[in-house]
Formats: sequence, structure tokens, C-alpha cells
Amino acid sequence: MNAPVTPESRALLEGKDLTMRFGGLVAMAEVDFSLRKGEVLGIIGPNGAGKSTLLNIITGLYVPSSGEVRLEGELLNGQPAHRIVAKGIARTFQSSRLFADLSVLDNVIIGRHTHMKTGIFDAIFNRRKAEAELDAAAELAERLLKAVSRELHAQRHRPAGELPQADRRRLEIARALASEPKVLLLDEPSSGMDDSDTDALMDDIRSVCAERPELALMIIEHDMRLIASLPQRVLVLDYGQKLAEGTYEEVRLIPRVQEAYLGRKGAQHAQA
Amino acid sequence: MTDMTIPARATLGTAGGLALVALTEIAGAAFLRQFLLVDDWRAVVGLLALFAGALVAMQRLPVIEANIEQAFGANRRFAMLFGTAIVLAFPFVLQNSSYALHLLIIAQLYAVLALALNFQLGSANIPNFATGASYGIGAYASALLALNWDVSFWLALPASAVVATIFGFLLGIPSMRTRDSYLALVTIAFGVVVHQLLNNLEFTGGPNGLVGIPAPELFGHSFASPLVIFGHSLPSQANFYYLSALLVGVSILFAGRLHHSRIGLAWNALRADELAARCQGINATWYKVLAFAVDAFLAGFAGTIYAFYVGFISPDNFTFLVSVTIMTMVIAGGMDNTLGVIVGAFLLTLLPEKLRAFSDYRILFFGITVIAFLMIRPQGIFPQRLRRYGG
Repeated sequence: MNAPVTPESRALLEGKDLTMRFGGLVAMAEVDFSLRKGEVLGIIGPNGAGKSTLLNIITGLYVPSSGEVRLEGELLNGQPAHRIVAKGIARTFQSSRLFADLSVLDNVIIGRHTHMKTGIFDAIFNRRKAEAELDAAAELAERLLKAVSRELHAQRHRPAGELPQADRRRLEIARALASEPKVLLLDEPSSGMDDSDTDALMDDIRSVCAERPELALMIIEHDMRLIASLPQRVLVLDYGQKLAEGTYEEVRLIPRVQEAYLGRKGAQHAQA
Repeated sequence: MTDMTIPARATLGTAGGLALVALTEIAGAAFLRQFLLVDDWRAVVGLLALFAGALVAMQRLPVIEANIEQAFGANRRFAMLFGTAIVLAFPFVLQNSSYALHLLIIAQLYAVLALALNFQLGSANIPNFATGASYGIGAYASALLALNWDVSFWLALPASAVVATIFGFLLGIPSMRTRDSYLALVTIAFGVVVHQLLNNLEFTGGPNGLVGIPAPELFGHSFASPLVIFGHSLPSQANFYYLSALLVGVSILFAGRLHHSRIGLAWNALRADELAARCQGINATWYKVLAFAVDAFLAGFAGTIYAFYVGFISPDNFTFLVSVTIMTMVIAGGMDNTLGVIVGAFLLTLLPEKLRAFSDYRILFFGITVIAFLMIRPQGIFPQRLRRYGG
């Protein structure tokens, strides 16, 4: 990193002119975004606005029809999902996608996959090395679980599929953090949670950020309480296009945003 | 969401644990011995009922299972040594029955095949219907080496495993473009193609197969001659019994080591959710192809031993039906559980033999028995266990 620019001014993760077409359907059109170290970016927009599409492009699940994604200046699009994780982008899923029949601890250890090296020959013939690596990963996973939530740590030997909703989301976050990412993408972390669970989740996210001042977060959310308090900046998507970008205070005044979240009547009321 | 499954508590001390391990292993061996030696169909049905009863008891009273599991976990070394001793001593209690030994050899080879498939079906949920084909490739490769170039068994063994692995890669790579039922179709097609090739190519002997594969020799001792240990003479099958037991041991070792490593975890992740696995940095294609290769490698070993044991192979030994049987062993025994898969292999190999009394109806009874066991233990006889780390 010998670039003369200061870390504050340079974007860690950057998207330019991102367009995604599925046949004739344009799911995303010329969206730009940027994310700096330690920043929290919120993404809002009605259903079908392209929020998840954006996440899928960044994580390599979709290859954009045009445009580019860069992490620290390195072009990411076209690279397979598993390599993008190794470069430092981790994510959670809207509908939690845990490894349900594996233990909570195993889930987090799998999150460390990119930091482990054991190949087939080491696993069979170099048992000491393979075991040492796995034990080290298990130890680290335990510490991570404990840091994210003591409650979750206490349940580390249970199958992940038996966890209640709030703990599943926490486990997904712990699993994503296990890869020691530079950027963490959260896809509707509060979906399916009640207010008190959401409050606890927000505290968890705050403490995760406090422990990792360099970590950049991108959060897709519908819960306006979360969007109002966590992100420094909010990006609004609508019909696959960028509608607005700014602080929550700025974007909440935009009529289209109010329409989407308060309904047309509510929006007129708010305008008046 | 408060209904936690209460884990059954294990309640045994060290001495109790050792005794329980010894007792369980002796009971298992005694059961197997009786099952191998009975002729009367009523006795067979009785033994099956006993086995089913034991499973029902374990299902109803999880504390039994928990105690046994804990005892084996705490005394792993003892369990292994004692188990090895039983396996070594087993031929001596079979009343010199060469038929019982023959059944054991076939059961052990199927145990290896089932363990091989378990890497795919059990660990990674890849429905591979071509394990029988890899078995055949291993058998033919070693037989051709032996017949055409006088290659000894001990060289043919690794060579044929390498050949089978190469074919495993060849199958694995195109399979990666498909998934689920389509993947199953590709593997079925591969199995059929291999069978057809073996049937129609000239150098594989066509439908007549290959005849006169020489018995292996070790330090001047031919495997075709009786095995004399401490003045006790065992039928010649005992040679192959010990050989295939060794291969089962190696397969168990492979299975355990791979399961408890980054690779086993990656396979399990792919089984649970492929997309989420890719998003943890797992190269799905590579790990799936690797599962194909490991499966073919072990199946190739089993094929070689089979070819040299029987001395005669034909394409009909390696049909699609063989692959389906192996798959049933994994499912009925317990996916991703080494012990379960082995028990499944033994049960499904021995059952049709022991049900001969029912002559034409034996396949029907075979089916009914498998269904009955699956009803008692829907997850397989011994289902998958969670990993444990450190203490």
C-alpha cells in the first residue's frame, strides 16, 4: 500500500456503473457506490429495488452485465464467489442460510475456511498438522462466538438448525466475521425479529464495529430504526437505479422514499 | 422456541466404560458369527428380530446409546485394539466354514465401497450412481495388468487405484456442470457406458470377461493355499479375509481423518447449503471433484482385491444394480457415519444370502427388511454425529 492517498479519501470497496440484465429484465442500471474503511453504509429501497442483486454482484454470485466492482483498486467482477471471500468480503443472507445439521461451532470453523490450508494429503498423512490447524480454528471460533454473544457460545455444541431466529442471525454474523473480512455485507439482518431482538442485534453490530474500527459494513434494511441509528450514509435504490444517497436525515425527506416506506397518504401527510 | 432437546446423560466410570466397550464389541462379533453360521430360516428371522429389538431399545432409551457412545469416545485406543483383536481372531471361531469367510470378504469389500460412496453421498450429498463402475474399472485395470504384463498383485493394487481415480476425475469434471437429479443422471450414464464398454471391447474379454487371474503371493505364500497360523489351518479364504479387513481398516482411517479436517467440513458445508458454502470461500467445484476422486480411489482398491480373490471377472459383476446396492447400504446404514455405513454394508450383503430359504421371495423379504429398519431408525441405523473438539 504505497499509494499517496490518505485512507480516509480512498474507497475500500467501490462500484461503478453496475448494470445487471437477466434476459430482457434490467434488475440494476448504472449504480455507483463507494465504501470507506470503518464506514457503515445503509441500503434501502422497496422490494425488488435491486438491493440483493447488488450484494450478489459484489460477492461474485452474479457477474454484472457491465460496470465494475473494485476492492482496494483490484477488479473483482468475474471472479468466483469463493475467491472474493478470500480477498476480504463476507456476507450474511436474508433468509438465514446456516449449515443446519452441523454444530454452531462447526459453522464458525467453516467460516475460517480461507484461513486454513489443509489439503487432502495433509489431512490423511500429516495428521498432526491438520489437527493442529483445526484445533486452532476451533479455539478462534470459540473466542469469536463468545465475543459476539455469550448465549450463543453456550449453545456451541448444538446443531445450528435448532437455534431461535435471533441467534441464527448472530451466528451468521459470527460465521462471516470468522473469515476476518475487510467488508461485511448484511442482508436484512433484522428480518423476522421483533423490536427487542432488533435492539439487541443493533447493540451486537455496534460492538462488532467497535472491536474492528477498520471494518466497513454495508447493511440492507427495511427497519427504519436501524437505518436511522447505525449507518453514516444511506443509499436508496428504486427499480434497480440509485435514487439518492446521503445521511438518513437527508434521504428521509425525499418524497419517493417516504412513499415507499410510509405509503402515498403518509408521504403527503409528511410533506404537508 | 424453548423446547431444547435434552441430551441423554452418560453415567459410567472408567472401568464401566472399558467393560461396556468390550461387551459391545463382543456382542457385535457374537451376533455376526451366529448370523453367518445359521442355516434355518427361523433362526435367521429370530436374529433379525433381536437386532431390530436392540435398535428399538436404543431409539426408545437414548441413555443406552449415549453411554455406549461416551464409552467408545473415552476409550478410543482400547476400543480400536480390542476391535482389531476380534477381527484377527474371528476366522478361528467360524468352524472352518469357507462359505462364512467368503461372505465376510464380500461384505468387507462392500463396506469399503460404501465408505467410498459415503464421502460423496454422506458427506457432500452428491448422488453418485457410478461407484460400481469405479469398482469395475479397478478390477479390470488390475486384472489386465496381471494377465498381460504379469504385474504382481501388490503393484496392481495401487496402479489400478490410480487408474480408477483418473476415471473418477473424468466423471467428476463434466458432472460439475449439473446438480441434484441431473448429476445423478450423468453418473448413471457413466456407469452404463463403462458397463457397455467392458461388454463390447475386445481386450476386456467382452461378455466372457477375464479368466485366470492369478492368486496373490506374499513372501512365497500363495493366497490360494490354506492359511496356517499356530498350527491351526484356516481355509484359503482367510488370506483374503485378512487382506480385505486391512482395506476396511485403511478406509476407516481415511474416513475418520478426512471427516475431522477442513476437507470434511467443506463437504458437510456443501451438503447443507452449497451457495452459503461458496460464500464462506469453499471452492465447490474442486471439493466435489475431490469427492469423486476419493470415492473412485477406494473403489479401485476394492475392485482389485475382488478380481484377485475370485480370479474371474465379467461385466455383469459391475452393473448399475451394484451401484444402487452400495447406495442403499449408505442410506440404510446411516449417512456420514462410518460405523453405520459398515453395518449397512454387512447387513445388505448378508441378508439376501441368509434369506435363501425363501427362494423366489427372498428379494421381497430383503426389501421388507430394509424398509422395516428404516422405519425403526429413519436416519439410518447409526445416524450422523456432531463433531467434538478438544475436550
